[in-house]
Amino acid sequence: MRDERKKHPLVDRTEVNLMEDIFPYTLPPRIHLSGPVVEMIDGKPVEFDFSAVKKRPILVSDTTFRDGQQSRPPYTIEQMVKIYDMMSRLSGPQGVIRHTEFFLYTKNDRETLDRCRALGHKYPECTGWIRADKGDFRLVKEAGLKETGILTSSSDYHIFNKLKFKSTKACIDAYCEVVAAAFEAGVRPRCHLEDITRADIDGFVLPFIDRLMEMSQGVPEPLTVKIRLCDTMGFGVSYPGAELPRSIPKLMYKINRECGVPSDRLEWHGHNDFHKVHVNGATAWLYGCDVVNGTMFGFGERTGNPPVEAALFEYIAIKGEMCGIDTTVITEMADYMRSIGLPIPDNYPFAGRAFNVTRPGIHAGGLRSDERIYNIFDTQKLLACPPRVAITDKSGADGVAHWVNEHLGLKGEDRISKIKVHKLARWVIDQYEKDGRLTTISDEEMEAKAREFLPQYYGNGGARA
Amino acid sequence: MATVEERVKMVTARVLDLDPAGIKASDEFGADLGAESVQSIELVAMFEEEFGIEMDEDEALSVTSIGSAVEYITKVCKEQGAAI
Repeated sequence: MRDERKKHPLVDRTEVNLMEDIFPYTLPPRIHLSGPVVEMIDGKPVEFDFSAVKKRPILVSDTTFRDGQQSRPPYTIEQMVKIYDMMSRLSGPQGVIRHTEFFLYTKNDRETLDRCRALGHKYPECTGWIRADKGDFRLVKEAGLKETGILTSSSDYHIFNKLKFKSTKACIDAYCEVVAAAFEAGVRPRCHLEDITRADIDGFVLPFIDRLMEMSQGVPEPLTVKIRLCDTMGFGVSYPGAELPRSIPKLMYKINRECGVPSDRLEWHGHNDFHKVHVNGATAWLYGCDVVNGTMFGFGERTGNPPVEAALFEYIAIKGEMCGIDTTVITEMADYMRSIGLPIPDNYPFAGRAFNVTRPGIHAGGLRSDERIYNIFDTQKLLACPPRVAITDKSGADGVAHWVNEHLGLKGEDRISKIKVHKLARWVIDQYEKDGRLTTISDEEMEAKAREFLPQYYGNGGARA
Repeated sequence: MATVEERVKMVTARVLDLDPAGIKASDEFGADLGAESVQSIELVAMFEEEFGIEMDEDEALSVTSIGSAVEYITKVCKEQGAAI
C-alpha cells in the first residue's frame, strides 16, 4: 500500500468558526454530499451521485398501524385516529410522510380506515395491506383504496419453508396472478418482497421484478407495480464492498438500473435486529430508492422499523430546509404514546425524556455559556423541548444554576449566576456526601428547595412569579 | 476595624472550616486550603455578603489566592463605594 502520510500544518486562528453552514442550530445539521461514489458491482465500477438526492423527490412512508401493531397489543380505534391526525400535522402540507397502511381484515380495521379518511387529510394517503390472496382484493375494493401492499416473500426461507411452494416458478406464477388481479380490480399493487436480504437475487428476485415490469407495461402508469424491499430480519448492510444479498447499494443498482424500476416506485422497509435500521433506510435513499418506510418511534415487529421521526430529521438534513414538516409534533406524539402505555426509553433520540438532558456539571457549565455546546440543535424550536440538566452529585453549581434558570424561564441578563444558587448547590452536594443519597434529585424536590433558598424569584410566600 | 485581609481570612476559615491563624496571604484556595468546586462558589458568595458588594462571577472565580482575593475585593469595594 502506498505511503500516504503527510504533514498537516496548524491554521492559527483567533476568530471563531462554528461552521454554521453545516450546523445552523435553528435546523438539524445539514448533510452536504459530494460525489461520485463508486461501488464495484459484477467486477466493474458503478458511479452513484449522492448529491442528486437533494433534488430527488424522496419521501417517507409509514407502517405504524401495520408493522407497528405487530409488536404490541392492538391500538383502539380512537388511538389510531388520534395518531393518524398527529402524523398528518407532522408530515406537513408537502406530504413528506406520503402514505400509511392499514390492515383491512376486521370490522375495527375498516372502521379505523373510514374514520381516518373522514378527517379529510390529504397526507399521509391511506393504503391497505393484504396477503397474496386474490380474494382479498374484495376488501381493498370495498374500502375504495387506490393502492395496497401485497405480501410477495422472496427468500427460500419463505418460499419453500413457510409458503410450501414446490418451485420458484410456481411461486412467481402465483404472485403474478395476484398482481394481475390487482390490475383487474383497478388497484395499484405494491409488492412487498419480504426477506429480500436473504433471497436469491439473480435467480429469483430480479426475474420476478423483470416480470412485474413487463406486466406494468400493459397498465396505465397509476397502476404500475411498486416494489417494497423488505429487510425483514435486518440483514441489510449499507457500506460499500458488502456482497449480495445483504448489500443495499448493489440491491438498489440491480433493481433500479438493471431492472429499470423507477426510483419513485421503490421503497425500503427495514428492521433493527442489528442496530442498522435508520442508516440502512438513508442508504436506500442515497442509492436510488425514493421512499423509506418506517413507524413512529420505530415500534415494529421484534426490534422495530426505521423510526419515522429520525427519517424526517435525516430528510431535513439532506434537503437543508424544513419542507413544511412540523417537528414539534414529535414531542406531542411521544407524550401521547407514553400516555397510552408505549414505553419510549429515556435516552431515545429526539423523543426520550432525557434525550437532551445533561448530567455532568462541566457540561451544564457549557450549556450555561452557550447551549449550542451540548445541544444538538435548537430543541426548543424544533421539538418544543429545551435542553435540561438532571441534578445528581455530578451536577455542581453549574448544573444547579442551569436548572434554576431553565425552571424559572430566565433569559439573557436575567439569568441567575451560580454564586446566587450556592445554598441550593450546597444542599445538593450534602444530599450525596452527608446523606449518602444514590438517586437523581427530582424536579419537584429541586423546586421545593429553590423556593426555600431563592424566595425572591418565586413572588410572595415563595409562589412562583 | 479589621483589615480586608483579616476579613478575607476570617470568611475563608469559616467556609472551609479552618483555623484563621493558619491562613497565609500566599495560600491558594484550592491547592493549599483544599477548597472544592462548590466551596469556591460559597467563598465568593460569602465575600459578597461580608463586604456588601457584587462581584463578576468569572472574574471572582479566576482569583486563586488569599492575596489576590484581597486585591480584587479592595478594587471592587472602591468601585462600588463599599466601606473597608
